[in-house]
Amino acid sequence: MSHTKEILIDGKHPLFDKSGMFYKEFPSDYRQVRFFSMLIVQKAPAEIKEINLLEQQISELIKNAVRHGNKKDPDKKVRVWASFSTGHAHLIVEDEGEGFQQIEEWNQFNSKRNECFENHNFEELENYFSYRTPNSTEDDGGNALFAAVEYWDGGVVFNDKKNAIAVYKNFNEKKRPGIEISSS
Amino acid sequence: MEIGFRRYKDVYIVDVQGDMDLYNAHELKDVINKLLDKNITKIVINLESVDYIDSSGVGALIHIFTSVKRNGYKLRITNVHGSVAKVIKLTKLMGYFPIVEDVKTALQELSA
Repeated sequence: MSHTKEILIDGKHPLFDKSGMFYKEFPSDYRQVRFFSMLIVQKAPAEIKEINLLEQQISELIKNAVRHGNKKDPDKKVRVWASFSTGHAHLIVEDEGEGFQQIEEWNQFNSKRNECFENHNFEELENYFSYRTPNSTEDDGGNALFAAVEYWDGGVVFNDKKNAIAVYKNFNEKKRPGIEISSS
Repeated sequence: MEIGFRRYKDVYIVDVQGDMDLYNAHELKDVINKLLDKNITKIVINLESVDYIDSSGVGALIHIFTSVKRNGYKLRITNVHGSVAKVIKLTKLMGYFPIVEDVKTALQELSA
């Protein structure tokens, strides 16, 4: 069995601590998913490199909440808590749906997918390109969470109901070039 | 997203411009499916003017590549850069997709 990053299920995980995070809520309007993502990411410091990638990853979380969680029901809200600094991005995205109940199955699927990569078994890999459920549509990429567990290096956790996801990204804070002045 | 076409001998070059996201990734799938229906056997997808891709866009590339392979046809994807490259790397598919540096390289490979 390969060592694979997993999605956790733990509603009491520290990543669900909302202290110090700002809050926004949105209607489940699929046409505005990227606009909502930009409203969130505009609170991030300009110093963060690859802000496009951060926006893309946030957009995936909101898209999943709108599409899979709330089934695009305009009466259902997506709630987002977020905090940013030059060193981190921390988000919680919650929908009003029934929850993503296939997380254990998804973890097993991702583990097998990674085994294919490690063994260079590209023929078998074709069975693991996209994770699909009976509710998946033609337009579902089915690969957003594969990227999410790699991008959000501080963890990807669902709550116990599985309708809220908490994620954390560490950014490398490089020291600015120059002379270090010691106080001693 | 805008899609343009060029032709070099028997190779069709599909120039994609703009974002490949949840709103329009299916357009590229539709275009490539039409080329496959017309038995176009050598295709280059040029992403030089694409600065944003999401899981729907990656899903479109997966669909296209598997369709091309199933037909025994040839595909190259060129000029993958910036956050597009980062997203594909996150999905670990960089080594699977037939990605080459630029259109010139793709034409050399497909003409060989």
